[in-house]
Amino acid sequence: MLRKLGFLGCGIFFGFSLSRVGASNYDLIYGLFSGTDLKLAWVIITAIIVGYGGMRWLHWRGGRGYRGQVITVIKKPLSWLTPVGGILFGVGWGMAGACPGTVLAQVGEGKILGLFTMAGIVGGTYIYAWLVEKGLIP
Amino acid sequence: MESSLYTFFFVDPWPWWLGGICIGLLVPAMYYFFNTPLGVSTGYRNILKIMLPGSKLRYLNSAECLDVFNWRFFFLTGIIVGAFISARVSGLAWFTGEMGIFTTRLDWSFLSQAVWFLGGGLLLGLGARIAHGCTSGHSIHGIANLDRASIITTLLFVIGGIITVHLINVFVLGGM
Repeated sequence: MLRKLGFLGCGIFFGFSLSRVGASNYDLIYGLFSGTDLKLAWVIITAIIVGYGGMRWLHWRGGRGYRGQVITVIKKPLSWLTPVGGILFGVGWGMAGACPGTVLAQVGEGKILGLFTMAGIVGGTYIYAWLVEKGLIP
Repeated sequence: MESSLYTFFFVDPWPWWLGGICIGLLVPAMYYFFNTPLGVSTGYRNILKIMLPGSKLRYLNSAECLDVFNWRFFFLTGIIVGAFISARVSGLAWFTGEMGIFTTRLDWSFLSQAVWFLGGGLLLGLGARIAHGCTSGHSIHGIANLDRASIITTLLFVIGGIITVHLINVFVLGGM
């Protein structure tokens, strides 16, 4: 239970940060992809650099967590389908002005239209489950 | 002094570096405390399974989601709660139909808006599953761990986004 509360806390920190920096703001996503306002690009680049530095630091400390547990980083699978998923996702990102994380922040902020994006993501997950079931996707 | 600090953290939008540092710190923090990779989109399987508890679909019955109230459920719930707190401390309205230029520059009916965002969501959900991750799992967590799949996928996310926004400019906003 403590572990689950820990994840709730991480989520709250994540959602608060996304909302405060404006990642849940449609106009900033629009600016990111039209090149008119690159604030979110700098947010993402900073996050990558800080995340990389933190991971290097954990590695330097022996790759162990706070109780000495071994940290395992698993690489994600890459197939010919991965780019297809990437493009579909990118089109959705541009249309909805949100990704699966920031739409939750939109909903938390009370943006009604975010609920439809969220419902769509659940639906898209169902389509994926169905395609896997029919053997159309490995 | 105290009130200007309050305004900086809780009312004004954060500068990019503060948001970037906080979001980036989550990657090593979640490994340090839970040995868990940052990621959101897989959690939508939990939501789907809560809505379809009796489904026989193999994807909804794999070992990682036997417990729908696993860490992913709590993490996703936390994001909603965190943004709710952010909106309260900064003094936003409880509910809004606003969605940036999409609602300030266009006067679509609510039904058209709903269909548009539902469609965008469908592509996000399907795309994220086929690509095995979203912005948090690939673009932030994956690239921070120098994962080749994440670098390729993120490039395609961005290409898809740029093409879409250009099409929106030409066909929806009318050559802005």
